[in-house]
Order: sequence, then structure tokens, then C-alpha cells
Amino acid sequence: MSAGGHYRHLFTPLQLGPVTVRNRIVFSAHLTNYAAHGLPTEQHAAYYAARAAGGSGLIITEEHSTHVTDWPYEKLIHGFNPAVLPGYRRITDAVHAHDVPIFAQINHNGGQASSLYSRLPVWAPSPVPDPLFREVPKAVETHEIAEIVAGYATVAERCIAGGFDGIELQCSHSSIVRGFLSPATNRRTDGYGGPLENRARLLLEIVDAVREAIGTDKALGVRLCGDELIEGGTGIDDAVAVAKMVDASGRVDYINSSIGVATATLYMIEASMQVPPGYAMFIPSAIREAVRLPVVGVGRFKDPLQAERALEEGQCDLVGVVRGQIADPDFAAKARSGHSTDIRTCLSCNQECVGRMGLNRWLGCIESPRTGREAIPLPRRGRPLRVVVVGGGPGGLQAAVTAAERGHRVVLFERQDRLGGQVQVAATVPSRAEFLDIARNLIVNARRAGVDLRTGTTADPDAIRAERPGAVILATGARPSRPWWAGDHPRVVDIRDVLEGRVSPEGTVVVVDELGFHPATSTAELLADRGCQVEIVTNGMVVGQDLGITLDLETWNVKAHAKGIAQSVDLVPMGADPLDGGAHPGGVGLSLQHHPTGTDQVRECDWVVCALQQRPEDGLWSELRHSSFAVHRIGDCLAPRRAHAAVIEGHRVAVGL
Amino acid sequence: MASLVDTVTIVGRTAPSRVVFGPHETNLGDGRAIGSRHAAYYRARAIGGCGIIVTETASVHPSDWPYERAPLAADCGPGWAEVAAGCRPAGALVLAGLGHAGGQGSSAYSQSALWAPSRVADAINREMPMEMEPEEIDQLVAGFTGAARLAVEAGLDGVEIDIGPISLLRQFHSGLTNLRTDAYGIDKLRLTLEVVAAVRHQVGPDHVVSVRLCCDELAPWAGVTPDQAVDQVAALAPQVDMVVVVRGGPFSVSAYRPDGHAPATFNADLCRRMREAAGGRAAFVLQGSVIDPGAAQAALDDGTADLVEMTRAQIADPRLVTRVRTGAAHRIRPCILCNQACRVRDNRNPLVSCVGEPRSGHETIEPDPEGTDPSAGEALVVGGGVAGLECARVLAGRGHRVRLVERGSRLGGAARAASVGPGRERMAELTGWLETECRALGVEIALDTEVGPTDLDAAADRGAVVVIATGSRPLPFDPPVDRTITVVDGLGLLAGDPGRLPDGPVVVHDPVGGPVGVGVAEWLAGQGRQVAIVTADPIAGTQLALTGDLADANTRLQRAGVTRELRAILRGAKGGRALLDDVWTGERREIDCTVIVDCSHRLPEESLYLSRPGTPRAGDCVAPRTLLEAVLEGRRRALEIGGAMGGGIR
Repeated sequence: MSAGGHYRHLFTPLQLGPVTVRNRIVFSAHLTNYAAHGLPTEQHAAYYAARAAGGSGLIITEEHSTHVTDWPYEKLIHGFNPAVLPGYRRITDAVHAHDVPIFAQINHNGGQASSLYSRLPVWAPSPVPDPLFREVPKAVETHEIAEIVAGYATVAERCIAGGFDGIELQCSHSSIVRGFLSPATNRRTDGYGGPLENRARLLLEIVDAVREAIGTDKALGVRLCGDELIEGGTGIDDAVAVAKMVDASGRVDYINSSIGVATATLYMIEASMQVPPGYAMFIPSAIREAVRLPVVGVGRFKDPLQAERALEEGQCDLVGVVRGQIADPDFAAKARSGHSTDIRTCLSCNQECVGRMGLNRWLGCIESPRTGREAIPLPRRGRPLRVVVVGGGPGGLQAAVTAAERGHRVVLFERQDRLGGQVQVAATVPSRAEFLDIARNLIVNARRAGVDLRTGTTADPDAIRAERPGAVILATGARPSRPWWAGDHPRVVDIRDVLEGRVSPEGTVVVVDELGFHPATSTAELLADRGCQVEIVTNGMVVGQDLGITLDLETWNVKAHAKGIAQSVDLVPMGADPLDGGAHPGGVGLSLQHHPTGTDQVRECDWVVCALQQRPEDGLWSELRHSSFAVHRIGDCLAPRRAHAAVIEGHRVAVGL
Repeated sequence: MASLVDTVTIVGRTAPSRVVFGPHETNLGDGRAIGSRHAAYYRARAIGGCGIIVTETASVHPSDWPYERAPLAADCGPGWAEVAAGCRPAGALVLAGLGHAGGQGSSAYSQSALWAPSRVADAINREMPMEMEPEEIDQLVAGFTGAARLAVEAGLDGVEIDIGPISLLRQFHSGLTNLRTDAYGIDKLRLTLEVVAAVRHQVGPDHVVSVRLCCDELAPWAGVTPDQAVDQVAALAPQVDMVVVVRGGPFSVSAYRPDGHAPATFNADLCRRMREAAGGRAAFVLQGSVIDPGAAQAALDDGTADLVEMTRAQIADPRLVTRVRTGAAHRIRPCILCNQACRVRDNRNPLVSCVGEPRSGHETIEPDPEGTDPSAGEALVVGGGVAGLECARVLAGRGHRVRLVERGSRLGGAARAASVGPGRERMAELTGWLETECRALGVEIALDTEVGPTDLDAAADRGAVVVIATGSRPLPFDPPVDRTITVVDGLGLLAGDPGRLPDGPVVVHDPVGGPVGVGVAEWLAGQGRQVAIVTADPIAGTQLALTGDLADANTRLQRAGVTRELRAILRGAKGGRALLDDVWTGERREIDCTVIVDCSHRLPEESLYLSRPGTPRAGDCVAPRTLLEAVLEGRRRALEIGGAMGGGIR
């Protein structure tokens, strides 16, 4: 079989102007929050190098700001500061060591910013406040437009001096160029506003200036938004027209594509598992038909087969795989060598990548503990031990995988017949099915690493001691906790009772949520699909508050509306009384207090389903903690939290053995 | 009777005044260290006469990393020494704030389970902590003593142990969070007493040991109540030198340092009661929105406290104590309790600052506006809002002859207009102070006077420098309305006479989510109007999260009978009905409406500028923003005129 195995297109080299890429897999630009003091760090170099080592065809760094007026988030790389140069060289040297080209994305975020860090007015085409930052920008004057253009040229030249093989102009997501292109934000009446040719003037001026600055032996790309998904914004027709102008300039080597506006419709840029893969491919398809330049397509490419198909169908010439390579830096190499099933596929859960970006935290990954930590060396491996892991949820599996990969002999006991722990339960809701991949990926890797997986086996202290362990890792998980206000009412149940099939609520159901995340909303969705009349009540100010950071809030609300799910906030349950007759025989009279005002109300319903904090399953810890061998506890049996905590702790304990 | 500016001696260490600068988040550190920017920040307050400075609370153990720039005691030794060196010449005592946020922290940075007395998830972070076992309790006590040792080795005068609204020790005190059945659950004060004893043993009798003690969690069903706190104080006071009486707990974190909606000096009764309970043991410090030196003095006079913490007041004016001492209390730049720039417990890590004094927290970055320009001349400032007033104030202070011209009949501009409504009144104190300062500095003020391009030319011909600060104008209201509907501008309404508003249901259109829309809605509801507030957000007043007023504001709206129309886009109004679309589903709904009060973002009033482009300008006429930007730009333009501003800053 030829190199690339099953993939005829994915591993075919391509020319991007003067630069040859060896395959079609692009690690497209994305924020990492790895910068410190406006400068790129060692972590940047290690992060990109890991993806280069893993076979990526082309790496495009996160944006570098071109002007001092542009500082929308704290950890932005200040390309306008000459002090970035050593950091640039560190990054490009690290990537070039793997014979992979790397481009720098340069940008001015324009009005999609605030003055919080810069203490300068925000620059934009017109005084139209951004929906996220909500700061009225200063409409740039003509001499300031010239300054913007000059800033792009200066920073592009600096990037080339820093060893980059090309420049990508960010003109989508969040960009002053996008702001000029879009009728929603460009209200100018001068030569930079009005008809599309005028709105594109800044872009074409920048293209000219940057090409002059970098010469002809470096690549130049332009990233365009194909549909802003906002009222009065840029749509596909305008985008194609702009792409043609870019092509006609004769000074650009490729076009990258995107969808949405970062500060308005981000949930469609970095779509979660609620949005089908390939959802944005109408954009590169349309652009590709209109231009001669190679076009990059993006949008939740999780596995190489999808990417191959997009190439084969002519939707694009290259495929941006960002989260796929965040989750597994070796995505491309595994595909190329015929080991696609070993790829640790992205879940599109957005919890530790996208979810941390908006909170000004470094980029990580729910299932890749090393993502974001590539520059920090692991502790030296100790002598090989016999390791017993108890519990086959994500924490236990991660501990077992890491320990086995580091040369320890590992046996894992799982009480149930199947591995995956609560992930198996959560993923039974159809819209959460892709979450199951975390278990699949871990199980595949555990088998490959030679972990002795013993399902259907309860590990009591004697069984554990019989293994003569050098170390024991307890990952025994958590169990639902009966709330004080529920009494012994049989119709007040936990979401796990529903998802694990022990009860099947019918009729009117109130879902009580104190977690603010998927457990309540996904269960509510499932119950509504089964025909229940569902209301979610929460003590928070909004239902599913943490869905906001994973970009699931919009899709949740659309679905909730379609399924007739009611949402009530600021309510705390105070009691659950039996209902004898009436509309809900055998049902629940749920007393609720509106906590801001202290007023009481009652919901009469057939069932109450609770998404509440759980209790640790820590019986084994109590029995074993004073053993002669080391005993560690990780994940929910230490403190019930989300999957990432279990994975991180499993990895940390295993590398510390 | 002691005066606020008298010295006070604690364990043989003498503070130059009885005014305390309390610990607060600053984000000034580099990594988790106390740094040079901290030192400059604290030093400015020491020079200004502050008696005792408590540095930003440092985590005593690596298990605690509550916000990204939270200092870690182990990293703070050199920084503490730098702070001590900077403050010592002025005489201020410096204490190291030491704490552990426990279950109210964050695992986002440590990537480890939070520590807490019991498995109770915090109401705000919703994160289930691990229950501390004896090993962790030992580590915590060792953490406090190790941190205290570092602090005194760095030359500090002592330490302050955080038992306030965000603290692990308070979590042990409270029935809300301590459900333990061991000795630390039976005696909820036990851990604190162990920590205090260990710290005292570590630092010895000649260093200050202070506690910042929550005496009311405002959750009487299970939380610490003032009655319980009396007993806690009686037990603790003999073991410590100073007690700062504070309030707030897991359900009321923002009650600790609330904005202007809470009355000033709100802890006075609580503090007095605790001081009495201590029976003369330990010095008691009154905390809680103390911004007026008169009120502070009264608290000393009536036995409420021995010292007074005036943190935000000294963020607003670092020289507060000196001004009191020199009989110039009327010249203190007022804290308006807005919390807009000084409350920086925020994921974005903003540096602490002040809307009225943007140099605060930026002492090493922004130039000092005081001083004299060698070639002072004549200046014309157009516009008597905050930007123009600040510009005129700084220019006059630097020796220029300044004429300030205002089109309207009073000064203060948008800020004065926005100071209408409950809890908003203090905004006017800043504009009032700017006006008073300008008059005292001899600024010639002309009201009711229009300035046109020819006036600018005439001024230029005379050799005068000109600064344009003409403020903002309303955004034209875009959605279609018919003749049954009256549309008024929110700020214009506040500036004018509400009596002219037509009868009928009012719809407050608030795409901003800041204090103005909510304030207008409250204000109109307070006049008996039927009010709905329309926002595209899932919560009303979302931006108030930054000032700590979000939950309270929503409760006030509810109590005032204001209907919150959430996730809604105002599409227009006709026939007495406003048309709203859901932002996500597009579902249309209608509500009663005869008046729309538009609280949208505004546009720059730039016609004068556009007639003479390139003229220096400041504030809203560049882009309508907040007080801070107006003050900052007014000041920068003034400093640029005298050449005192470095180049490169716009």
C-alpha cells in the first residue's frame, strides 16, 4: 500500500505558492492563551512542535497583533512588539525540526475588543459596539487606516525574520478587516464604506503591503468568513466576491475559510457535538468554484476519513483539523500509518479547549492531559511496579493507560460488565453520544498498552492485596446523593436512575438542577423526547449556566424551545409531598422557594428528576488507606467532579509512580 | 479621643494613622509573586499617610489557587521585602494578608481538588471539594506558619489571617459548610485557634497578628450569625492583636465590599458589638464602604472601632490621610462606590484601578498629573463633562490659564445625568469634586456657551491650545414605531424632567446591560410606572457581574415590579405594544408599551472635531465609554500639552 494507506487525497502533497505541504491536514490558527507578557513562550514552541512531530501538513500559529490599539484579551501575542522575535525563532525552529512548514497568522481585532488592557480607544470602521465587548469603538480616521496597513506590513516582515514560511491574514472571526467587510459594522461613507469594493479596500491594501514586505518566496493566505450568521452581516455571496478579488490580486497563495463571528456566533465557529460535522463546508465549496487558489475547509473534522471525503468530493483542497489535533497530536501520523482507530478522537465537548479560552486560561483538552503542558517535562519514571487500578471510568482508565505506557504492570478492576463509568451513562442521551468517545479512546489505548482489564470483577481489599500491588489507584467513582428535601418519595429520583433505566418517568416531570451543565439539560431533552412535559428548575440565574462556556447554550435553548421544555430560575427545592388524587396521582408536590425574594411556590408533577452533586464511593479508601503499599485516589471518589478532573488526576498519579 | 490621623501603637509598633488599607485583589503580580507594581501601589498609600497596609491575600498552601494572579506565600518573600522597603520610610505598618480560599477557590489553575471542611459545593463555583483529612489540616496549619515566617523575615510588621467571606477558616466556622463530626466539627473554632496559636508562636509577641473575621454570613439558617460571632470574638480576641470585622459568606460574597446600593459604613453596629464582646482585648477595625473621613472619625469617637479601614477611598485618593491631616479633607477625590475599576476578581485579570484616579494600580505606567509645566500658557477646553473637567483641572494645576466652555447650564455631562436613581447618587460626587477643584484652581468656566469652529480658530490665533471634550449624543432609535409610542433617550431623560414622560407602560431598551439601563428601570418603577426592561441577554444587567451588583440588581428589579424581558430583541412598537423576538428561537412576543426609554450605546458628538480634525480630543467625543476613559483621556491630553506625557500613547 502506498504512503497514506487508505487515503488517496489526504496525503498528496500540495503547493501553496512557494511552499510545499506534504499532506492536506492543517493545524489552523486558534487561541491558546500560552503567551506571557505579550510574548510567545516555550509552551508555544512545544505545542506546535508536538503537532509537527505528529505529522501535520501545515501549522498556522495563533494570531499576532499588528498594532498597539489591539489587545482584546490578556494573553495575545503582541506582534507589534519587536521583543517577540526570539520567541518566533524558538517556535519556527521547533517546527522546522520536523520538516513541517509554519505560517504566522497576523491580525488586528478592530472593534471586537475593549480598552481594558490597552487603555486606548478601540479602533473600528464605525462606532458600532461589539455584542460581546460592548465598548463603542473609535471610527478610524484616514491616517489611522494607513497606520493599520503599515502595522500589518511591519509585523509580517517581523514574522518572516522570525523564520515563518508564510503569513495568513485573519479576515474572519474577529478582525478589523472583517469589520470593514461586513455591512453590519461598516457604516462609513468614505472610500472604505458602502459598496463591497470599498469595504474590501482595506483588505486589498493590506494584501499589497504585506506581499511587498514578505517578498515572493513566502506564502500569503487570506482567511475569509463565508457567513457571519448575524443580521445584516456578510453572507456567502459577498464572501465569494471578496475571494475573487483576493484571487484577482495575484498576490495571494491560498484562501482559508470560516463561519461565524467570534464575538457573536462563536457557537458555530467552534461547534460542539450538537452541530453535525462538516456543517461549514458550503463555504469552501462555494469559494473553490469561484477561484483558482487552494482553499482550506474547516468545521469539526474528527477523523481522517471525513477529511478524505471532503477532499474527494472537491469541497476543499486542505482540511483544518484543530480540535482533532489538540486531542491527539499524532492524528496525521496515525492516519498515514494505517492506525486511524488509535486516534484519540476529539469529542467536540469544548470543555477544556474552547471552554478555557473565554475564561483567559491556557488551552487544554479533556482527554489529553499533556495538551497545554508539552513544555513541562514529566517526572522521571520510577522502577516498574505492579499497579492495581480499581474502577474503569475515565480516571481509572487514564491512570491505567499512563502507568502501562510508562512500563508498569497494570491490572484494572471494574465492577460492571463494561468500561467507561458514568461516561457510558451520560452518552446514552442521543445528543451526547460523541462523549462516549472518551471511553472508547481510553479502552483502545488501554488494550494497546497491555493493561489487564478485568470487567465484571469487584475488587475487595483481599482481592487487591492478593495482587501484591506496589501501588493501588482508587478510581471508584461516585453515587447519587438523596437530597434532604426529597424524604422517601419514590417519585423523586436521580438522573442516573433515568439514564440507567431503573425508572421511566411519564407525564409531567420537573428536573431539579444544581449542577448547571449537561446532566440536567440532556436528561430533560431525553424525557421530552419520550413524551414528558418537562420543566427544569435551577437555583442559578440561568438554566445550564456552564453550557455558555462550551458554546452549548444556544443550541440547548433552541432545542428546549422546540421540545417545549420550560425553564425556571432562582428556585431552591424545600420539600416533596405525596399527591394522592388530582391530575398527578402518586405524584409529587414539589415545594420551591424563590431564594432572592424568599417567596414560596409549589409544582404539582408526576416525577421529580434530580441532577445534583454526588457522594464519593470511597469505601475502599477507608479500608486501604493505611496499607503497606501506596494508595491513591483520583476523580470522583476523591471529590465528584467532571471527567476532566478524573483524567488529569489519573495521569498525574500514574506519572508520579 | 483619638483622631483618625493620630498614631496608634500595636505590640510596640506604631502606625502613623488609624486608617487601614485592607487586602484586596489587584492582579498586579507577576505569576504568583508580590511584585514591583504592588510595591509602587502600596507605597503611594504609605506616602499618603496610611497607617496600616495589609497586602493582597497570599495563599498559604499550593492547594489554593483561587484566581490566576493570586499570590502564593512561598513566592512572596522578595516582594514583601520590596513592599516593606517602600512603605517603611513613610512609617506605615505592613501586614501580610494570608489565607486559603478552600472550597470557594478554583481548580482551573491548580487542576486539583479543592480543600474544604466538608463535601459541600460552593454556591458560586458549584465545584465539589474534597473533605480535608488530618494530613491536610496539618499541612494547612504548617502553611500558615511557614507563610508567617516568610513575612516577618521579609521585614513585615506582622500578618493578617483571612477568615472573611472567601476563606477556608470561615468555612470551618460555618454550619453551612462544616458538617464534620470530628473535633473540628464539634468545635468549629478549633482550627482557627490552632492556626492563630501556631502563627503567634512563629512570629512572637512583637509582631502583629490580625484576623479578618466574618461576623455575619447573612445566612441565619445555618451560617455564622452575629450572636455566634460574639462568642467567637470573645475566644479569639485574647489571642490576637487586631480584629477586622467583616460580613459576607457563600451566598453573599458581594456584601463584603458592595457598590453604592449598600449604605456607607454598614458594618458600624456589627463592629461596635464585636468590640464590646472583646472587652478591650485587641484593636478593632471597622470595615465596609467607609469612604468619608467624618464617618471614620465618628466611628472612633463613639467606640465603634479603634481603627478604620478605608480601602476603596484610598484607591480613589492615595493621599486621603495627608489631606485630612492638613485640613484639606474637602479636597479628597471621592470614592463613589461604583466598583467599576477596583473590583478585579475577574477572569480577565484586569489591574486594579479607579474610575476617578486611573493612575491607581498603574503607578509605574501612568505619569503623575501633578507638577508644573515650564511653558504654561492659555488653554480652551470645550465641554464640561468629566473629560473636559479633568483636562481643565490638570492643566490649571500645572499652571495653565484655562477657560472651560460648556454648552449646557451645568457641568458634569453624562456622568451627572447618570447619577440619578437609587444607589447611583454618588456618581455626582466625582463631577462635583472636579468642578470644585477646577474653580479652586482658577479655571474660568463659561456655561450656556456654544463653541464653533471659528472660536477654535480664534483661540488658536491667540496661541491658546484647544481640547475638545464634547461628549456623546444618542444613537438614533432604529426599530420602527408608530405614533402611539414615544421614544426618549435614557440619559436625556435622567438629565431632564421625568414629569414630561407620557403616561402608560414603559419599556426600557437596554442592549448594554450596564448600570444605566437597570438604574433607569428602577428609577421609573420607583415613581410608580409600569416598567419592563428588554435585553438580549439571558439575565438583566449582565455587565453588573463585574461590580458585584448582578444578583442584587435582579432582586431589586423583581421587588420593584419591573418585568425582565430576557433574550429579547426589540423589533419595534405599534398600537401600544412592543414587539420582541427571542434571540435564539426567533419566537415573537408582544408587551404593553407607550414609552420606550432607549438606553443603547451612544455616538460620539464629533461635529466640532470634524470641523477641525486633528484637534486634541478626549472622552466620549472620541468614543462614548465610561468614566475611567474620560478621566484618563482628559488627563492625557492635558499632560501632552505640557509635554509631560511620553510619546506613543494616544
